[in-house]
Amino acid sequence: MTAGTRDISTPRVEMRGIRKRFGALEVLRGVDLTVGRGEVVGLVGDNGAGKSTLMKMLAGAVVPDSGEIRVDGTALTGSGPRAARAAGIEMVYQDLALCNDVDVAGNLFLGREIHRPLTRRLDHKRMHEEAAKDLATLHIRISDTRQLVATMSGGQRQAIAIARAVTFEPKVLVLDEPTAALAAREVEMTLQLIRDVSSRGVSVVLITHRLQDLFEVADRFVVLYEGVNHRQMTPAETDLGGLVTAMMGR
Amino acid sequence: MSTRTAAPAPGRADRRGARQDFVSRNFGVLSISAVLAVLFVFFSVQTDAFLTTNNLVNVARQVAPTVVVAVAMTFVITTGAIDLSVGSILGLTAAALAIVAESGSAVVALVLALVLGLGIGLVNGALTAFGKLQSFIVTLAALTAVRGLALLITDGYSTPITSDFLLPIGNGRLAGLYTPTWIAVVVVAAGWYVFNHTRFGRYVVAVGSNAESLRRAGVDVRRIQLAVLTLTGLAAGLAGVITAARLASGSSNSGTLFELEVITAVVLGGTALMGGKGSIVGSAIGAVTLGVISNGLVLLRVDVYWVPITQGIILIVAILLNAKLFSRITGQRG
Repeated sequence: MTAGTRDISTPRVEMRGIRKRFGALEVLRGVDLTVGRGEVVGLVGDNGAGKSTLMKMLAGAVVPDSGEIRVDGTALTGSGPRAARAAGIEMVYQDLALCNDVDVAGNLFLGREIHRPLTRRLDHKRMHEEAAKDLATLHIRISDTRQLVATMSGGQRQAIAIARAVTFEPKVLVLDEPTAALAAREVEMTLQLIRDVSSRGVSVVLITHRLQDLFEVADRFVVLYEGVNHRQMTPAETDLGGLVTAMMGR
Repeated sequence: MSTRTAAPAPGRADRRGARQDFVSRNFGVLSISAVLAVLFVFFSVQTDAFLTTNNLVNVARQVAPTVVVAVAMTFVITTGAIDLSVGSILGLTAAALAIVAESGSAVVALVLALVLGLGIGLVNGALTAFGKLQSFIVTLAALTAVRGLALLITDGYSTPITSDFLLPIGNGRLAGLYTPTWIAVVVVAAGWYVFNHTRFGRYVVAVGSNAESLRRAGVDVRRIQLAVLTLTGLAAGLAGVITAARLASGSSNSGTLFELEVITAVVLGGTALMGGKGSIVGSAIGAVTLGVISNGLVLLRVDVYWVPITQGIILIVAILLNAKLFSRITGQRG
């Protein structure tokens, strides 16, 4: 584990006994998840296992019925997306969560726009400059940050969503199917990005159906099955077949 | 810095792209401006009275209440909501202004009328944002109830306004133009600034575009929804004051069907009823266009019943143009 060298007693993320019911369906039935500093956790499970819901709770977008969420030891249960962001949690949602009618820079800065204090005027120039700089740093090729997101391809949108999550120095990065719409080269870039941020001490939780990617970047797999913790293992302990077997609840 | 190396040099394709971008982004405004220009030329040629200072100054005064409320309505519609109660609020505030001014202080009457409009807007907004009701239903109920309230307090009679403090709000002149025109100009300028250059304006677009995205970004969407409906209430109150002051009388019947005129103006200006896209300037031009149509047709001495018919036809044509041409020009993907 990469974080083993700088051992600090409290884990970065600690989720305990998380439960959530949607109508008649109990999606999560007492799930625990711990993520260390700089650790990359691959969260796997079959469709409907509760992976995305669990991560939306960490990001503050969904409130658990019961259970406890702590980040760096501080309770963060059900305090909303703003508090989660303030605590350094950033998430790339499977459904991207971009605004089609807002331009690239506007989406990158959504919720934390730069404005002049006195006139409340948005600093468009600075936001576009910084957005272009941030995209270039991440090797994302978007020629004009004034383009509306509606005009962009699936891969470009995904790149913007990822850029938005990593730009503001997160402590925890949650990626829910970040590579679904990406070409091979872009997938490789995303994996490299995960290695980069985790080496800087950022904790990463990765949800993906591309299990081979997990073997490249994850320090540990956490397998959910029908709303409970099923298995936990390291890449060294298993192989692709073993992981698939675990996902099927065996 | 990595930007320098990574950013491609601006080529011809980029410039063409920028021009296309300008056209596609402002398509609604450009098309309604073209319609207005055609109407302007047509009425100037066809009538003697249209293109005279007196007439144009009067049109600029007549359209002021519609422009003022259309600016606020642009915020509401851009979030994907609607406010049907503005006509009734206009009637109630016009009546309340006259009644209070008659029996007491004109200043108190003015403040009360504006607070009344704001208060009704606040109730509309609270029920929509926090009560999770559809704005269509909430403001439809308000349309009925507020009009009823206006009739109740006036018994259906109109009340004359004689206050020297209030009358100039409708009839005062400055640099050739009437006060209502100046109020409308200020409201358009302020609305344009807030819509395009503040966080609030950005969030209004985001609510209509993808409210869940904005919520996940840590913004309280309900506060935005509350604020926009409060704004239309206040704007309708202001329109009530302007209307009553101009007519020197407050009538509970004023503002009937006003909400439809305002919504027509906003949609003419290129604001999408489904939200996410809006233009303050477009709404103002839309309101002026409606005013020019009714003025021009009256000057042409056609039957006055042709005014709503023409406005309806222009609306359909504009929407068709927007829907058919817009998707082709912008080439948006979903």
